[in-house]
Amino acid sequence: MKKSLNCLVIAGVLAAGSAWAGEIRIGATMRMISENGQKYGEMMQDEFAAINESGGINGHTVKLILLNDECKSDKGVANANKFAYQDNVHLIIGSTCSSVSLPIVDVTAQAEVPQIIPHSTNDQITRKNSAWVFRVPISSRYYKGVVSKYLHDKVGDQIAYVYASDAAAMSETQGLIQQMRDVYGVEPVYEAQTQEKEIDFRSHLVTIKDLNPDAIFFGGLQEPIARFLVQSYEVGIPASVVRAAGSAASNAPVPKLAGDAVKGVFFSAAYSDSDDRPIAQLFNSYVRSRYGIKGVDHDFSQAYDLIRIVEIALGNADLSLEDDDLAADRTAIRDAIANVQGYEGLASGPISFCADPTPECRDGNRTPVLIQYLEGGEDFKVGILDRVTMPVEFGL
Amino acid sequence: MGPMLEVKGLNKSFGGLRAIRDVDFAVREGEIRGLIGPNGSGKSTFFNLLSGVYAVDSGTVVFDGRDLTNSEPHEVAAAGIARTFQLLRMFTEMTVLENVMIGYHNHVKYGALAGVFGFGRVASEEKIIRDEMMEVLAFIGLEDFASIPASELSIGQRRLLALGRAMAMKPKLLLLDEPAAGLSPVNVDNIMLIILRMKEKFNLTVVIVEHILKVVMETCDRISVLDHGVKIAEGVPSEIRDDEAVVEAYLGREMDDEEVKRAISA
Amino acid sequence: MLTLIDGIEAFIGRLKAIHPLLPWLVALLLLLPVPHFTANNYQVYLINFICIMIILATGLNIVKGFAGQVTVGHVALYAIGAYTSAVLSTKFGMPFYVNLPVSILAAMIFGVLVGLPSFRLEGAYLALATLAFAQAVEVYIRVTNYLGAASGIGGIKPPEFFGFTLRNYDEYYYLVMPIMLLAVYASFAILRSATGRAFMAVREDPISAASMGVNVRRYKLIAFVMSAFYAGLAGSLYAHMLPGYVHPNNFTVIEMVTVLLMVVLGGIGNIWGGIIGAIIVTIVADITREYYFYQLLLFGAVIVGTVLFMPKGIGGIIDRYFVNRRFVAARELTAVAKRGVVGSASREE
Repeated sequence: MKKSLNCLVIAGVLAAGSAWAGEIRIGATMRMISENGQKYGEMMQDEFAAINESGGINGHTVKLILLNDECKSDKGVANANKFAYQDNVHLIIGSTCSSVSLPIVDVTAQAEVPQIIPHSTNDQITRKNSAWVFRVPISSRYYKGVVSKYLHDKVGDQIAYVYASDAAAMSETQGLIQQMRDVYGVEPVYEAQTQEKEIDFRSHLVTIKDLNPDAIFFGGLQEPIARFLVQSYEVGIPASVVRAAGSAASNAPVPKLAGDAVKGVFFSAAYSDSDDRPIAQLFNSYVRSRYGIKGVDHDFSQAYDLIRIVEIALGNADLSLEDDDLAADRTAIRDAIANVQGYEGLASGPISFCADPTPECRDGNRTPVLIQYLEGGEDFKVGILDRVTMPVEFGL
Repeated sequence: MGPMLEVKGLNKSFGGLRAIRDVDFAVREGEIRGLIGPNGSGKSTFFNLLSGVYAVDSGTVVFDGRDLTNSEPHEVAAAGIARTFQLLRMFTEMTVLENVMIGYHNHVKYGALAGVFGFGRVASEEKIIRDEMMEVLAFIGLEDFASIPASELSIGQRRLLALGRAMAMKPKLLLLDEPAAGLSPVNVDNIMLIILRMKEKFNLTVVIVEHILKVVMETCDRISVLDHGVKIAEGVPSEIRDDEAVVEAYLGREMDDEEVKRAISA
Repeated sequence: MLTLIDGIEAFIGRLKAIHPLLPWLVALLLLLPVPHFTANNYQVYLINFICIMIILATGLNIVKGFAGQVTVGHVALYAIGAYTSAVLSTKFGMPFYVNLPVSILAAMIFGVLVGLPSFRLEGAYLALATLAFAQAVEVYIRVTNYLGAASGIGGIKPPEFFGFTLRNYDEYYYLVMPIMLLAVYASFAILRSATGRAFMAVREDPISAASMGVNVRRYKLIAFVMSAFYAGLAGSLYAHMLPGYVHPNNFTVIEMVTVLLMVVLGGIGNIWGGIIGAIIVTIVADITREYYFYQLLLFGAVIVGTVLFMPKGIGGIIDRYFVNRRFVAARELTAVAKRGVVGSASREE
């Protein structure tokens, strides 16, 4: 299974059996407090173990040091400092929270250690113009663009927005509103933020119903999204009003909880487990069987893509792995990642980096997909509504 | 000259219970007054009203020409009234010296935050305070225990420390709530001796609530008697000894005749 | 171990005899070269962080350990200090030396707010009231866009003095360590003055303290405001330390528990204990970084264990040693104890 997966991606992986084999140290700091979090931590370990088993990278073995940052910036910063100065790692992977990846960018820039980010969408991360940062997931600037473009082109401009008070939902929704304003000159017909742990959205929905908008956008975590959708039908908003939701709508509990209310809802994502490409199907069944995860989401796909990209880059880098050459090795790895072009894996489109320390070069993945629910419930069905590769400079 | 402490028409109820009813109470300067009464007669409540621990329902408390009715406890203390507690209420985690130093609190001249300069003026004043408080400890005979926590003291030593804390306050009026409770006869004599010497040395006025009647009869100039929150008698010890109402209402209930006679004539 | 403690005590005593500030000066001189003895930058980062935690724990110790007020709002005051600096630095471009005092002032103003419930509530009820405050602050930050909401505030500038910028952890150490030392000194000095005694009296028995002339409410408030001073100071130093980023996730109940652990383990009402606690907890948290699943479990178990078996913490054990020694000395000095007679009245007669 694993072998065939490895073959699917173009990778310069071969046990070259070089004369001297060293150890490539990689430090990963991630949010590993949820079940999924633990699982993709496990997956990362397993993948690197598999690389080592099959002979390592150019004969070098990879040592992965995995730490939890609990999505807390001070812990993440401490982890990054530890990796950079104490463990003397060659590469830092992290983090899975924007609020942790952001400050780590400054740490890695100062320590001059390459940092590759598995899952953080905040567009500020690459706007710091650090030469040492690479982002595998899609930047929020692309997400905003793809939804606003679709809404404007295919649905209409009368849009109501409601969003929960978590970080992702706020930046996603507010970014979308901004995009509609800046690009198409459209103001929201309704905009409201819900309180933490609020579960009844009907007061918002009744107001929205009277406004009769073209579309409603809801940003939030999976459960609030499901509630919101159900309640939107309860207050009598007709199915003709298009319902769009934040990227958390991709999580499997949403169609289960929302049932038929989920039909027609679309969202943007980096990855969907309904993706019918063979590589995606293969990956999904692999993760499901090995880690017991039912809804394989972008956390997993991006972690996987990241490992493959790291594998390619490390394979292309000329590393001495002597203690004295730490700085040179770090630079070599940075440059090797910057040279990764047109990587095609689980991500919807090719991932490419380049050398300039700019968002254009370092937001490597710019192809969000729009996914639409076709059926709700336990055996929900989704289809890909659209797949758009955004121009590199979009949203800057 | 009027009385030093004058209480008029004092009332206090807890729910339906009238703990103090229309009590008038006046103490002259330099007097040692005894306050007696059976358990639950309102003696401690009366002290708590005087010292501001409880708020009064009605009535007035005037001390040294100042109206102290419903003053906060620290205001009462600042006015010159020191009190001890039947249950001691030591600062057990603090050293013996620190316990006494708290008594001196209102006489400290530097401000609350001036201590940050732990040298210069503050240090020299701390030294003066320390010396003065060591004298207080020497007076009550606890100077060797100055730097150990009050929790290490025996009950008798704690009773002494309570006096020391009151003394450090440099009060005009001393309210003593059962200062000899729980002590052996030898120690009772000791502590009464110290109280008398304190009174002389610092020219104090003293009000003593005490259960050991012998002590009250021997020590006090005048005695007031409370029963069910009402003042039922007041006078010199001999008058109280012969007062039918007192013997009836108070003494008779707690002891049989033999004990009463022994207690009074002792 | 004990002879070491005795030796240190004697040495400090000798220094103090020359000038009360001399021990602190010696401490400063001893601490100055520390970054040069560390193995790497990360350790300097940890030491800086420990300094900040010492300041924070000392503040909590003042209000909780000395004045006996059970507060859970301390980390919220820390957050207020950090966010005041963050806003001043990023939105108004103010320099560190302005942000620090303003942040402290802001924390102190809120310190009054946290302290007011203590006039009427105590124990668990006070803890709940202050917890409500802490939660309110955290949630407010999380939903307020001006404060970066859930994205946090980044780009807080490192301190700059006369054109010299503290750009790395080594340089920051020379700011944060002396401030820590100064803060610890100040807490010692104040707590050893009449104010500290009043705090303890309020903790031990507020009624008794009041009857001896201590304005209980005033001193409760002073304790809260003093502790807020420390929280604000720590917050500002935290915000300005590299990478200059604050986020509501760093000011939650878990952080409060961690600071509480420092104080409880080190010894409630014992400044040295709090410092030892801050050092131990930060280092243990670092060593156990890889066992993250069990870290909180460990912390919780240590709190419970300390409260049950070592209620006065590590500092309490050291204190106990001195107390025992003094008690033995007192016993030897006086025959009174042996006779079981209370006073020395008879002796003086």
